[in-house]
Amino acid sequence: MSSFKERNVECILAILKKQNPATTKEIMAMRDLFPELCAGCTSGGDVILAGKELVEQGIVEREWSSTGFVWKLISGHNENA
Amino acid sequence: MVIWSRIRKDFPVLNELYDGKSLIYFDSACMALKPIQVWEAMEYYYKYLGACGGAGRSTHSLGVETSLLTEEARDKITRFINAKSSNEIVWTRNATEGLNLVAATVPLEKDQNVVTTTLEHHSGMLPFFKRCKETGSELRLVKAKEDGTFDPADFEEKIDDKTKIVSFVHASNLTGTVAPLKEVVEIAHEHGALVVSDEAQFAPHQKLDVRDIDVDFCVLSVHKACGPTGIGVLYGKYEFLESLDMFMVGGDVIEDVVYDGNNVIPKYLPPPHKFEAGLQNYGGMLGAGAAVDYLENIGMDNIHNREQSFSKRLLEGILELDKFEVLGPLDYKQRAALVSFRPESDAVNHNDIVEYFNEMIPNHKILMRSGNMCVHPYQYQIGIKPNEGEGVVRASLYIYNTVNEIEIFLGALEDFARAIE
Repeated sequence: MSSFKERNVECILAILKKQNPATTKEIMAMRDLFPELCAGCTSGGDVILAGKELVEQGIVEREWSSTGFVWKLISGHNENA
Repeated sequence: MVIWSRIRKDFPVLNELYDGKSLIYFDSACMALKPIQVWEAMEYYYKYLGACGGAGRSTHSLGVETSLLTEEARDKITRFINAKSSNEIVWTRNATEGLNLVAATVPLEKDQNVVTTTLEHHSGMLPFFKRCKETGSELRLVKAKEDGTFDPADFEEKIDDKTKIVSFVHASNLTGTVAPLKEVVEIAHEHGALVVSDEAQFAPHQKLDVRDIDVDFCVLSVHKACGPTGIGVLYGKYEFLESLDMFMVGGDVIEDVVYDGNNVIPKYLPPPHKFEAGLQNYGGMLGAGAAVDYLENIGMDNIHNREQSFSKRLLEGILELDKFEVLGPLDYKQRAALVSFRPESDAVNHNDIVEYFNEMIPNHKILMRSGNMCVHPYQYQIGIKPNEGEGVVRASLYIYNTVNEIEIFLGALEDFARAIE
């Protein structure tokens, strides 16, 4: 079984594979599509932490917009990340 | 006279750059920073003692000094909250453990009820929710008003002669509401009910006098009062601590365990030691003692007066922008030193706001908290839906903050409001 942190990372990846790019708000709204991966994200802080982890790893990039942060799965990671 | 700029120097993290930026720490309602004096007290234990303390443990020189210093720290907490005796001070892991201890062990019958409020931190509500489920007792909820305040009449309506205990937050970690605790205690006592108050957000900021408010139990969160993590305090009137069963048992809580006729007969120590099973967080206790020394040297009235003027500026500055909904009362005199808010437009997620202030402000990192602050029921009550990803941003202040930091934050918040238009 994946750790709590790994599950959150997998949650973000699963969402971004479905909609790329996506704002934090859109990611939060799509968590219910992956209930086994996205457990424990009610307040959403875990989403930010997991997203930042993926940015650190160079798998996701993040930009600020007038609707908040936009998270984008970097090309090449889309299939096998 | 307090030299506040000198106080700030006791917190070296604030005088260092982080990723090349100055830190503005507005998250003290979650965790206060620790002054050098607290580290030094803990370092003394780990560097020069490192031994067992406590009842019936090691009697060599290091053990005796550990016991003396930890009991001295208990005495400091006793004075800090004006308890009658150090025997009324129980060391716990945190405030949550203290609330669980009371909830799990207070005698409670099926036909009795427990009263709490919609504004409780989950730690003040869920232990009693769980206990009531186990006993079949009724859990009654007093609704906070839309502005986060309470009407004592609502407590009069819920508390009756079958109420065993009232669990009530003195200062809310979400709305900042400072509640009419003394009036609620009077109502509860008229019906023979006990009161346990959550002082996690009150005691670090204002003088807490447990004898004046006449509360029966209360819990303190040491890490919100410049102390270390992993150590908390449960205060209880001695007669009531005596009447509670133990939450945990094991070493350190007994005078003897007699073996007789293939039976064991434990004889437990009196409070507070009967609640402190196993080896304790001795370094944390010394840190806790140093933390309350530190706050008392500044003066709790000095802390409160300064924070109130800063809270006024913070609250009014956010309201003046006219772009944000503020939770809680709009009169700063009714509030603790924190403001929870959210944009009137719901275009941006609350976590993004905190991340914006963490990463996107030139020259500064402004550190705040986003989320639901472990007070979900009240947010559902006022129309914020945690299960749909809604939440708030909280800016909370403490002794090391400056008025200049508040102005920098308000300027940045104005820029942020424009950025999301």
